[in-house]
Amino acid sequence: MSVRDFGYSVSDQRAVDLDRKMPDELERVYLQEPSLRNCIACGNCAALCSAGSFTGFQFYRLNVLVSRGLLSELAKKAEACMLCGKCQMACPRGVNIRHGIMLMAQL
Amino acid sequence: MFHPFVLPFSIGFTVMLVVLAVRYAYWLRGLSLVNRKRCLANLFSIQTLRGVSEILRESLLHLKIYKTNPVLGFMHMSLAFGWFLLIVGGKLETWYYTGDFANPIYYAIFFRYFEPVTSGFWMNGVMVFFMDFSLLLVLTGLALALAKRIRKKLVGMQNTTRHSVGNRVALTFLWLIFPLRLMAESATAGQHGGGGFLTASFGEWLFSGTWAASFEVPLWWAYSFSLGLFFLALPFSRYLHIPTEMVLILLKQWDIKQETGFRPQKGLQAFEVHACSSCGVCLDACPGINLAHDAFQASYFVKAVRENREVQSLATSCLNCGACNSACPVGIHLEGLRLDCRSQIFEQSQFNHSYLPVPMVLWRETTEVILYTGCMGRMQPKTSIAFKALLTEAGISFVHIDEKAGVCCGRPLALAGAKDQAVKMMTYNRDLINGHNGKVLVTTCPICYRYFSEEYQLDIPVQHHSQFLWELMNKGLLKREMQTLKLAYHDPCDLGRGSGCYEPPRNVLSAIGQLVANQKERDKALCCGNNLGSLSLTETTRQQITAKTVEVLTQNKPDYIVTACPLCKPTLSKQSRVPVKDLAELLLLTKHHAKGHPVSAQQYQKILDS
Ligand code: SF4
Ligand code: SF4
Ligand code: SF4
Ligand code: SF4
Repeated sequence: MSVRDFGYSVSDQRAVDLDRKMPDELERVYLQEPSLRNCIACGNCAALCSAGSFTGFQFYRLNVLVSRGLLSELAKKAEACMLCGKCQMACPRGVNIRHGIMLMAQL
Repeated sequence: MFHPFVLPFSIGFTVMLVVLAVRYAYWLRGLSLVNRKRCLANLFSIQTLRGVSEILRESLLHLKIYKTNPVLGFMHMSLAFGWFLLIVGGKLETWYYTGDFANPIYYAIFFRYFEPVTSGFWMNGVMVFFMDFSLLLVLTGLALALAKRIRKKLVGMQNTTRHSVGNRVALTFLWLIFPLRLMAESATAGQHGGGGFLTASFGEWLFSGTWAASFEVPLWWAYSFSLGLFFLALPFSRYLHIPTEMVLILLKQWDIKQETGFRPQKGLQAFEVHACSSCGVCLDACPGINLAHDAFQASYFVKAVRENREVQSLATSCLNCGACNSACPVGIHLEGLRLDCRSQIFEQSQFNHSYLPVPMVLWRETTEVILYTGCMGRMQPKTSIAFKALLTEAGISFVHIDEKAGVCCGRPLALAGAKDQAVKMMTYNRDLINGHNGKVLVTTCPICYRYFSEEYQLDIPVQHHSQFLWELMNKGLLKREMQTLKLAYHDPCDLGRGSGCYEPPRNVLSAIGQLVANQKERDKALCCGNNLGSLSLTETTRQQITAKTVEVLTQNKPDYIVTACPLCKPTLSKQSRVPVKDLAELLLLTKHHAKGHPVSAQQYQKILDS
C-alpha cells in the first residue's frame, strides 16, 4: 500500500541526518570554539542584542545553521554583529559567542 | 702573546658579531620610512646619551626588575653588571700594563695566563682586587640563578618560564664560563703566583702541587670553549635578548613609533619580540596563570611569535587585562603585539554595519552632561538610575543618549583585532554626541571611557563617572558624611591600567568610608575574569579567575566590594558573598545610610525605585 502524502512530511533539507559529514570549515569552527556546542537556543542572546535592535540578527539562529551544517549565508549573516559582548553576559551556557562570530564571519 | 686556546673564544665571538650585524641590519631595514628617518635624525643627539644611560640602568643594573623583585633584580644585576665590570676592568688592565689600548680582544680575556704576576704602583693592587671582586659578583649571581632553577620561591617567584632544549644548552655554557674562569685563573695563580683575594687563595688551596701543572692549560682551553660556544649559541638562543634589549632602548630613545600590522620578523616588532628575556615577571602578574589549559601568558606568547609557531589560541585566550604590559621590565608593547596578531588571524572576518541609521536628534537645548552608559550599562539599570539620581541631587542637567537603543563604542571590535571595522559605529556615536548640545560626555563604562578618550577626538571632554562624581563632591554639590563602612575597591582594567585613573574613585570612597587594602591594587589589580579582551577563554577558567580576584578583594573583610565598571560588577557579584556595588550606587546608598546600620536589600530597592 502506498503512503499518502498530505504535505506534512519532513522536507529533505530539514531531515536530521546524524551520519552526514559536516563541511570541514564548520568542523574547524567547532574545534576552535567548542563551547558553541553548549548552546540550547534559549534565546537570551537575541533578546538583548545590540545589532538585533537594528536588524533581524539573532546569534542562536546562526549557531543552529552551524550545527545543521549549513554553510551558505553564514558569514553574510554574522557581519551585523558589533561584538559588544552583551549576549555573553546573559548566556546561561557560557558560550563564547564573540569568538564564535569571529570564526563564522571568516567562512 | 698568543696561545691556540684563544681560538675557540675568538671564533665564537667573531661569528656572533657578524650574525648580529646581519640580523639587526635586516630588522632595521624593515622599519617604516618615517621611523628610519627618526633614527638618523636622532643618532647624534642627546637622546643617544640618554639611551646609553638607560642601557646602564636597565640592561646592566636591571633597576626595574629590582623594584618588582629585589632578589631577582640582584641576580640579574650581579650577572650582567659583574660581567660588564670584568670586561671593562680587563680592558683597562691590559691598557694599563701594555700602554696599548688596541690590543687584541682575547688578550684581556685571557690576561692572567699571559701575565700571571703583575706589579706596579698601588694601582696594581686595586686592579687585581677589582677583577676578583667582579668575578665574585658574577659567581654570586650564578649561585642565585642555580638556586632559582632548583627552588623558584627562593627568589620570590611563583612561576618561572619553562625553557626549550636549545636554550638550556646555551644556558649550560653560560653557567660554565665563570666557574671555569675561576678555576683557570686559580690554577695559574697556584702555579705561578699572583692573583687576587679569590684566585690566589683558591690557587693555593687547590692547584699549588706540582701535579696540578698539567691542569692549567686544559682549564684555559675549557674556559675558552665555554665562552666561544656560548657566543656561538647566543644569536640563536634567548640570550639574543641581551644585545637586542640594548638596541631597543636606543630605538625607543630615538622616538620610534609603533608600526601597524603584524610583522614580528621585521622592524620594531622584531626588536621587541627578541628583546624579551623570558624573565617571567609577566607570569606572576597574570590573573590566568596556572589556570587555563594553554599557557597563554605574554612570555609564552612572545616566545611562540619569535619562533614562528602557531599562536592562534595563545593570542585569543588572553584577557588583554594589561597586567603583563605594565609589569614587563623591557617595556614591550605586549597589548599592541597581541591585537596586531589577532587582526592577522581574523583577517577574513568582515563586518558590515551599514544598517545603522543616521541618528536624528531633535532636542537641542544646552545640557551640562551627556550621559552614555554603554552596552553593558543597559543590562544594569541600577547603576544608571543611581548616577542619574546623584546628578539630580547635585542639580546637574543631563541627557541620557543611549537609554533606548545604543550602539557599541567599538572597543570590543578593536580588542578582537578588527579596529578598522568599527568606523560606522563610531560615526553613529559621534553624530549622536555632537547632535546634543552638551558640555561634557560622562560614561559609566571604563571600556567606553577609554575608547572615547583615545580614539574619538570629540569636541567636548570625556569623563568617567567616578571622575565626575569626585568633581561634584569637591565642588560641594554632593555632600556625604563619613560612615563606618569598610570598602574594598576593585580597579577595572580599562579604567586603572588602561586609562591611568586610580585616584578619583578612591577619593570618592575615602569620603564615605574606610578603604581597606589588599595585596593586588592599582596597576597590579587582578582582572575580574570577564574582560572582553579574551575571545576564547573558557567559562570555567574565567570563573576560576573571578574566584581568585574575589578572594583577594575580600581579604580584609570589607562590608562592600565597590567597582566602577558594568562588566566587573555582575562578574564579581556572581561569586562574592560580600555585596558588590557600583561607586554611584554606593554614593546614593550613603545618602540614606543611617550611621552604622547598613541598608537592607529591600530598603535599597525602595531607594532606587523612588
Ligand atoms: S544565550 Fe547562550 S545558550 Fe542561549 S541561545 Fe544564546 S548562545 Fe545559546
Ligand atoms: S556581541 Fe554581537 S551578538 Fe552579542 S549582543 Fe553584541 S551585537 Fe549581539
Ligand atoms: S614579556 Fe616582558 S615580563 Fe614577560 S618574560 Fe618577556 S621581558 Fe619578561
Ligand atoms: S594581558 Fe592579562 S591575561 Fe593577558 S597575558 Fe597579560 S596579564 Fe595575562
